[in-house]
Amino acid sequence: MSVILHGGEPLLAGPARLRRICEELTSAFDGIAALDLRIHTNGLQLSPRYLDLFSEYDVKVGISLDGDRAANDRHRRFADGRSSHPLVLKAVELLRQERYRHLNLGLLCTVDISNDPVAVLDALTELEPPLIDFLLPHATWDDPPPRPDGSPTAYADWLLAVFDRWQEQGRPVPVRIFSSVASTLNGGPSLTESLGLAPTDLVVVETDGSLEQVDSLKSAYEGAAGTGFDVFAHAFDEVAAHPGVRARQLGLEGVSETCRRCPVVRSCGGGLYTHRYSSAGDGEGFDNPSVYCHDLAALVRGIEARTPADTVAPEVADPAELLAAQEDLTRTLLARLHADLDGRGGERWAQAWELAAVLEGSDEGARGLDGVLAHPYTRTWLLDALDALHEGRAGAPSGAADGLQTLLAAAAVRAGLDVRVPVPYRDGGLVLPTLGRLTVSGPGERGTVLVRAAGDGFLAGPAAGSAERRIRRSAAAGPGWLPVRGFALPGDPFPGHGFVIDDLDPYRDCFGAPAAATLDAAAAGRLGDVLTEAWALIGERAPAHGARSLDGPLTLTPLTGAMPGEPSVGRHGYGALGIGVDGNARTLALTLLRGVRRARFRALVDVADLYAADGSWEHRMPWKDELVPLSGLLEAAYERLALAVFDHRFRDGIPQALDTLEGAAELTIGGKRLLALMRKEF
Amino acid sequence: MKTTESSLSFAVAKKSRVPLAAIDARGGEAARKLGRVHVASAGRPSQASTFNSSL
Repeated sequence: MSVILHGGEPLLAGPARLRRICEELTSAFDGIAALDLRIHTNGLQLSPRYLDLFSEYDVKVGISLDGDRAANDRHRRFADGRSSHPLVLKAVELLRQERYRHLNLGLLCTVDISNDPVAVLDALTELEPPLIDFLLPHATWDDPPPRPDGSPTAYADWLLAVFDRWQEQGRPVPVRIFSSVASTLNGGPSLTESLGLAPTDLVVVETDGSLEQVDSLKSAYEGAAGTGFDVFAHAFDEVAAHPGVRARQLGLEGVSETCRRCPVVRSCGGGLYTHRYSSAGDGEGFDNPSVYCHDLAALVRGIEARTPADTVAPEVADPAELLAAQEDLTRTLLARLHADLDGRGGERWAQAWELAAVLEGSDEGARGLDGVLAHPYTRTWLLDALDALHEGRAGAPSGAADGLQTLLAAAAVRAGLDVRVPVPYRDGGLVLPTLGRLTVSGPGERGTVLVRAAGDGFLAGPAAGSAERRIRRSAAAGPGWLPVRGFALPGDPFPGHGFVIDDLDPYRDCFGAPAAATLDAAAAGRLGDVLTEAWALIGERAPAHGARSLDGPLTLTPLTGAMPGEPSVGRHGYGALGIGVDGNARTLALTLLRGVRRARFRALVDVADLYAADGSWEHRMPWKDELVPLSGLLEAAYERLALAVFDHRFRDGIPQALDTLEGAAELTIGGKRLLALMRKEF
Repeated sequence: MKTTESSLSFAVAKKSRVPLAAIDARGGEAARKLGRVHVASAGRPSQASTFNSSL
């Protein structure tokens, strides 16, 4: 709960009254909610007497300062005409002292475009505040802001001049209005009620106890902030239900029709509610764009244009970055599972976790671990294990330990690490991810087997010594051992970019359609052959989408009931595809083309924000005459670009789709970067 | 064309990376990362005050 002591000038309440307020609030929230107490002041009366009190109650302090002396004196002089600037500087200096620094929130500057933007920013940054924000002066359509040169973007121009200076200075301090635009451009929330579509959850408690909406509304018309409620007779829930408050919780539904159709609305959010007010005719009320509409659009576009493309979503343009981000995501999930288990995984988890550290300690070991962490169904296991833990399912910690032991055994074998790893087996067997299925005993039996790397394979047995069986990784299937089937791509100039048919992994059933049972050798051979033929066809007709388009090996899992030509991407890491097994080479070529792009698109969405507020608007899919959310159109267009190289008929509709995407409000800067690459590709 | 699984591997760009045991899996950055694929790990969104007239 944030409580901000605001005015007028709140220090005029005096230290005794402020102490009582702090005491009351602190004790009222004790044990109920964390209290974030703040005060906003012009600083004129700020003294150690106040700051000692604020330190005692951890009241953070923000100060209004409009820039250099000339700027500040324009609106902030004493009644007798003296400058208040030296006193404000004194207050800021006091707050910068070591003993009070932890209370310093920063400086709030109201924009006056008559001031020199560079001088204003320099004056503010010189004081080394932890945060700066710039406020547009209150204005409405009835009382528009001054525009001395008549420019409809005078305020944006002024703020962008500040932005450029701030860049020049090396961004020495965060500026809230810039951070907010950067956040929304990248798909995050807005950081101030003056921008963005985030719901506003503010109520003002006046000194007489009346409960009002934000004070800025008072500049719209007399009584605009009133609710008719007060602290003596009404609960805050009643204020929350007030139509004026509700109107500011509606996000996109709460802005004008013009704004809903505007591509920058996610960032500007229609501007500060007050700035939308008009008393005239049809537009009476707040259902209008902001009186700063052109400024806000120019500010958002100006900041976007000043954001270097190569600093945003590098995964979009660089496959190595995408793989690194995917790897990082899987590792973070594993670390999160470890943290959430918090010791409940017992001895087995603890030992396996230690083994992971051992593996990471050497290049070979790290490669072995990376190999199993990059396996798409490792992600599935991690997500399932986290779900089981969060839902409190019986046996979840023990199941997590089973999974990690199995994973690390496979990693140790891949690394050639000479250490015995215990691996649990169920129903007489176990699957070492990326390697194959080992049958240990009869159906229905369970126990633990020790696995140790040896030669080009591993030894497995209930104990060290004669009972161990030797498994060669390069060997074909034999009694008790069924390896994952791997295939090189025809004419593959990129060793390692082949595909595997994984019909073994217990976590492979993570697609919309059910995973097929393990294929017999003949069926697997036939599928391998027709897939190889399909890849050859792609190599002939769309070479750019052949082997070189793959970022790594492709894990193909046969599904039952999958639509021919329709690949599935499910809940797994990058590089897996679920496919029907009935198609001919041409159908499978289209399946693979579509599927590789779909897998890449989903992998991007897993690690980067390409769009936000998906589903808030509907877009026409030109080739189906169907309305879909932006994510659907972007993904389909991305796939269709690859199909169009294989078969020119798929070019139909792509230009229209790209144009629609270009004007969509949902795309983030990262999404626009992808769109630019798509245009280039087309 | 059949090969063994052992010749297939991802060539991940190696950056200096944080060891598993040192990853901050509960911080804000991790929550944002994990939230894209596992909503329950994103935690409750925390938003500082957005009041325009103060910091």
